[in-house]
Formats: sequence, structure tokens, C-alpha cells
Amino acid sequence: MKHRFLLSAMLVGIAALSMLAAPIAAQQRPANSNASTWTPPKTPWGDPDLQGIYTSDDYISNVPFARAAQYGTRLYLTDEEVAAQQARVQTAAQNALQEFANPNANVGTGPPGHWGERARNAPRQTSLLMEPEDGQLPAMTAEGQARDAAARRGRQGAGTALPADSWEGYTYYIRCITRGIAGSVLPVIYGNGTEIVQGPGYVMILQEMVHEARVIPIDSRPHVGSNIKTYMGDSRGRWEGNTLVIETTNLLGERTGIGGNGGGVTFSDAAKITERLTRTSGDTISYSMRVEDPKNFTAPFTFGFPIKQEPGYQNFEYACHEGNNGMMNQLSAARAQEKADAEAAKQK
Amino acid sequence: MRTRVLLVAVAALMLVPVSVWAHHAFAAEFDATKPVKLRGTVAKMEWINPHAWIHMDVKSDDGKVTRWMVEAAAPNAMLRRGFNQDSLPVGTEILVDGFRAKDGANRANGSSITYPDGKKLFIGSSGTGAPVEQ
Repeated sequence: MKHRFLLSAMLVGIAALSMLAAPIAAQQRPANSNASTWTPPKTPWGDPDLQGIYTSDDYISNVPFARAAQYGTRLYLTDEEVAAQQARVQTAAQNALQEFANPNANVGTGPPGHWGERARNAPRQTSLLMEPEDGQLPAMTAEGQARDAAARRGRQGAGTALPADSWEGYTYYIRCITRGIAGSVLPVIYGNGTEIVQGPGYVMILQEMVHEARVIPIDSRPHVGSNIKTYMGDSRGRWEGNTLVIETTNLLGERTGIGGNGGGVTFSDAAKITERLTRTSGDTISYSMRVEDPKNFTAPFTFGFPIKQEPGYQNFEYACHEGNNGMMNQLSAARAQEKADAEAAKQK
Repeated sequence: MRTRVLLVAVAALMLVPVSVWAHHAFAAEFDATKPVKLRGTVAKMEWINPHAWIHMDVKSDDGKVTRWMVEAAAPNAMLRRGFNQDSLPVGTEILVDGFRAKDGANRANGSSITYPDGKKLFIGSSGTGAPVEQ
């Protein structure tokens, strides 16, 4: 289900339009941003200071990845639309103050959607996709589509009731291995914390869920050899004014996708990822990720959203593999299902 | 206890589809046709990722005690909603509503717990494709 928006976006087939996309810089900031006047603090060694613990919770569920047709090429909501979002945020906050469920509550196996982590501030965007201008994911190449489909067919144990033959039939997320470079930053239903720590010559970025820490050298050393590929790739950072620009290559192809927790259509081993982080106020960083992947996509695309420090918000430990009982339980459930199916077939 | 869980005052809110709460799909592990109600005491609480697990001793009518494992939400999500390490101490009497594991083991997905005083908390984890309790 989390892939649905991506699939529909692909079907739109907007390759031609995306070629006409205007530079995104002009539409990356809402009109009322104070980014142009605010001066970020510096570290003792003189780099812009991005350090802190941030969350993308404000974009958890109210902002789709691809833009709804009604907004056209408009990335930012109007003041009236923001006010409507604000009302939703306040209602959710009000609901969350209730301490106990009604004894007769009609409870599903999951809690109601507003039980969990939620936006504290109204989001201002119409979509996470900023480029192309129409906010739709560019079409995949035919070759990329085939590779993506084949790779994901082998991991269908996740998100469906299809029984898997082995742990390898599940996504890298379900297996607690990785959410991938895009899947780690996209807002999901919980665990959206990002911690940034800087040292002279390095920036470390830690995502809470699946706890991947990227230690990024801030210099112009060359990337590792092309025969070395990893889930999170090889990153190099540089400062462009107050913006941290991180370029990542050497990614393993078709392992994780352009969706929350690494779901969604996958990028190839030729993907070049460019992230931009700019502190726009004391508590907010403007974050974006540009994906250039001519092997799998017909045009580059960029998604982004602000991440924000919140009072009291912290990252929690997330050792995942050690306690992943669900992995074993799903496999034993799959075997039990096979046995039941076989017995049912015999009786026919 | 300072656990904050929602009073479901507005029925309409329940119609909002629950997002992917679980680390895994409900149907891959649990059987939606086998709802269970487990009354017993907490024997051990595991605050582990990606899902917390309640181990509880359930006494049947004939006095036999059986150990069950009940899956709850991600501990970090529960912590942010007010649960803490003292929320479910050993010996706590609870009633769990949930759904049994597909492999027939004494294991269930928990959707809510009810304390002896009637207070009911959501602990649910797997929102994907899960049925609504009747």
C-alpha cells in the first residue's frame, strides 16, 4: 500500500514534461521564509552548525510524495490551505490528550491513526516531490522497470500475505538490514528522528529507525572504487555557503526504493544522490534529495521537506535484528499456511 | 501511570485507515479469523525493537497456566506515547485483546490491554490489513 502513490505516479508517464522542469531553487522556499535574512551559527572551527536532533514528523502523513493533480505545478499551500492543515494538526493534538481508550472502543489490531507520532506544525507543501515541476515521479526506463520488478518480486514476503520461502523473501527493512539512502529520510509513521553531529572535516547523520549512521567526510577526496557498492553508498560533503551538499554514489542497485522505509520503485547502481541541508532558522533545516539515475529513471527528480527540532524530542535506540521475532514467526506462519493448504487440497 | 492513550470518542475517526504501524504485515504472521482474549498476569516485558513483547501467564478454567507471548507496537512509538519501563511490571493483571499466530503457537498480536479497573490502552502494532475487533 505504501507503494501505491509511486506506482500511480509512474503511470502518469510525464517524461516529456519533466524535461521542461524549471530550476527548483526558485520554488524551494515559501514566500514567508526568513532563510535569506537569518544567519546560522558556526561551529568552533568555522563550519555552519547544523547539529541537533530533528524530526520530519510534520510531514508524516499529510503530504503525499507525488502531488495531487489539483495543485498543478504549485509546491506550496496557500495561507488558507495551511490554516486548514493547522486545524487538522490541532484536532489530532487534542485527541491525543485523551488518556484512556473508551472501554467499549472498537479497537482494531492497530491503534487509531492519531494514536502515534504526528505533526506538531502544519506542513506547507503540496507534495514531497519538488522536481519535476509537476510534482510527479518521472517514468522509469524500460530496462529499469524490468530490473525493479524482478528484484521486488523476490521480496514479496513483506507487506502481503504471500508466504516466503526464506528470510531472503522479505525486504531489507523487514530484515532489519537497511532502509536505504532515500527510505531512511522519508517520513514514516514513527521513528522519524535525525541526529546531526559535526567534527572538523566530518558530518555524522544518524536516523533513528534501523539506526544507520553515515559518517561523511567534508573534503574532495575521490569516491571509493566503482567495484565497491553498499546499501547506503559512499558519501562526500562540501559547503556551498551555509548549505551542506552531500553527494553519494557507489550504491547497490535495486535493493531499496524511493519510498518510506525503502519501499517503492528502486534506484540502480548508477544512481547519484545529492542531498542539500540548509539551516533556515534556529530549529529548522531545509532538506532535499536529488536523484540522478539515467539507468532506471527517464529524468532526475528531487524530493524534500523541512526537518525540525522539537522540545524534548530525542532519538531512541533501535537495535532491530536482535529482537526481530517477527522474522521467524512469519516464516513459521508461512510453513503452517502451506501445510494447511496441502491438507485442504488432499481432501478435495 | 501516565500512559496516554486515546479515548475513541468520535466513531468516524476509526474509519481513517491506519497507516503501516507494523514492521511487518499483520497477515504474514497472525490470523485475522482467530481473535483471542487472554486474561492473566505479566510474566516478563521485553522492550525490544522492532516490536515490544509481553510474556504473560494465562490461567484456564481448570487452573492450568500457559505462557503466551503478545506482540505490541514498536517500543520507541510506545515510549513517545507515554509507556515506560514501569508501565507493565511483572505480576500486573491484564486482559489482552488480540489475534492468534497463524502457526497456532501461544502467541498473539495484541491490539489493546484492559486493566482490572476497566481502563483500556492501545498497544496495537500491526495495522496492515487487520480486521476491526467486534
